[in-house]
Amino acid sequence: MTAWRALRRDRPTLLAVCTVAALVIASLVVPFTTHVAYDTQDLSRTFQGPGPGHWLGTDQFGRDILTRAAYGGRISFLISGTAVLTHTLIGLTGGMLAGYFGGTIDSVLMRVTDVFLAFPPLLFLILITGLLGPSIVNIILALSLVGWAGMARQVRAEALALRQHEFITAARALGATDRRIVVRYVLANILTVALVRASLDVGPVILSEATLSFLGIGIQPPTPSWGVMIAEGLPHLRTYPYLAVIPSVVLSIAILALTFVGEGTAELLDPKWRRR
Amino acid sequence: MARYLIYRVAGMLPIVLGVTIIVFAAGRLAPGDPVQILFGDISNPAVEARARAQLGLDRPLPVQYVRFLGGLARFDFGTSYAYPGIRVSAMVADALPVSMALGTLALVVAVVLGVPLGILAALHRQSLIDHIVRFFTLLGIAVPFFVVAVGLVLVFSLRLRWLPVSGWGDPAHVVLPVVVLMLRPMAYITRITRLSILQVLGEDYIRTARAKGLASWAVTARHAFRNAAITIVTTVGLALSLAFTGAFVTEIIFGIPGMGRATVTAIFQRDYPVIQAVVVLYTALFLLLNLLMDLAYAALDPRIRYT
Repeated sequence: MTAWRALRRDRPTLLAVCTVAALVIASLVVPFTTHVAYDTQDLSRTFQGPGPGHWLGTDQFGRDILTRAAYGGRISFLISGTAVLTHTLIGLTGGMLAGYFGGTIDSVLMRVTDVFLAFPPLLFLILITGLLGPSIVNIILALSLVGWAGMARQVRAEALALRQHEFITAARALGATDRRIVVRYVLANILTVALVRASLDVGPVILSEATLSFLGIGIQPPTPSWGVMIAEGLPHLRTYPYLAVIPSVVLSIAILALTFVGEGTAELLDPKWRRR
Repeated sequence: MARYLIYRVAGMLPIVLGVTIIVFAAGRLAPGDPVQILFGDISNPAVEARARAQLGLDRPLPVQYVRFLGGLARFDFGTSYAYPGIRVSAMVADALPVSMALGTLALVVAVVLGVPLGILAALHRQSLIDHIVRFFTLLGIAVPFFVVAVGLVLVFSLRLRWLPVSGWGDPAHVVLPVVVLMLRPMAYITRITRLSILQVLGEDYIRTARAKGLASWAVTARHAFRNAAITIVTTVGLALSLAFTGAFVTEIIFGIPGMGRATVTAIFQRDYPVIQAVVVLYTALFLLLNLLMDLAYAALDPRIRYT
């Protein structure tokens, strides 16, 4: 309830939360209202500008842009959600165990994160989807592999600090097992940090997916994705600019809103994190 | 300093080794047999065995890895799968300077514009200027390179016809790509400059400088900026890496013959050695950048002494 009250006071974040919610709901609901599939071609109605019937117009194959943008949203949210969830779980588990137990587990894990953090993110994504092929599963795999190391680092640092706290010592003195301490005390105190980090990660992950799809090594046509739609609109930029502009605007709004939500969450949950 | 350098370089070695192992493993896991890709279907087993031996593919995996590593050390990334007979190193030598020039140019513009903007916003905190700068900083960080490119091409090339849509070789061709490429690094630099100046302005020595009657500009230039510069310089490394990876996307849009285009073409042609070379090269480059930034940090801040 306090979270809700704080959110109501923070107008920009509230607006961003509403925008993200609207985008998610629209991407789920809109395809039921347009009565066409994302890949239904109608070559007698190509390049129709926005108007009744096709509210956002049709593309070079007469496909309904509104439907495609909505499906693109579904795919973006599905991929980024799954990827962030995966890398959070991996990073949280790894970082917590490394930080709490220390020793060999810790040094091995830290050396592994060193290696993963050394790759420029875009290059690593290109390596995985370029070599293993651009399927949705590979894209999620690549995005998770990029994100987990940073999460593990942060969680580890937090766990390391927690280990020194008196309540952990007290729990151990009372005879609590390592397992109980990790689950009941360490995890409970680290979850916030992981949540903050995860909420900050969603925007960049959507951006990465869009970049890959734009380059042609992410989502493959005819499946729509905002990145794919922008790339497909580029050749027609002179004559039918709305083809590229509509998905560009939607993508930018989504990333901007998610960035605000992430920073808002950080501010709300983590007192150390202040927007300056 | 020399000992610190040796220490840091030694610390980088296991990372480089790990990176090459992952790149090598990804190449092995990739679908398709190099012999088949390079020579097509060979029906004669003896010929196939010879081709395999020639590429070293008949050796155990660890041996192959060491050979791969040995090649990397000599800047030998093998032969392109898509253009047999052409060395990957030759393709890189053609494309890399273009990308580096583009990225560096964008960084220079980003620093020249971003640092003053950040200082301006910090000195006029909570003013209209500050709000405008912060809004555009946020936009610069959130809006993807290719969306900016779409907008700029639409306005400046197609509507106003001031600049060419795409191409390479003419000074006019450079303008839009550099503008697209500099926005994101500039946003980061402006943001960090503003924050670090604001932080420094709260320090006691600034109040002392003001109290002894030093002119406002002198306080900013001599005390605030020189101390904030330490933080700013470290961001420049991050900004440069942003510009270099951003160049990948920008080159595709504007048809610039750099590493980005070479890499995406390689992916479509399943030209694995090129992809591997690009990933190893850029990772090494970014590690080096990190090291340089740390050294700059040590050189700028007299409080930090690495022994």
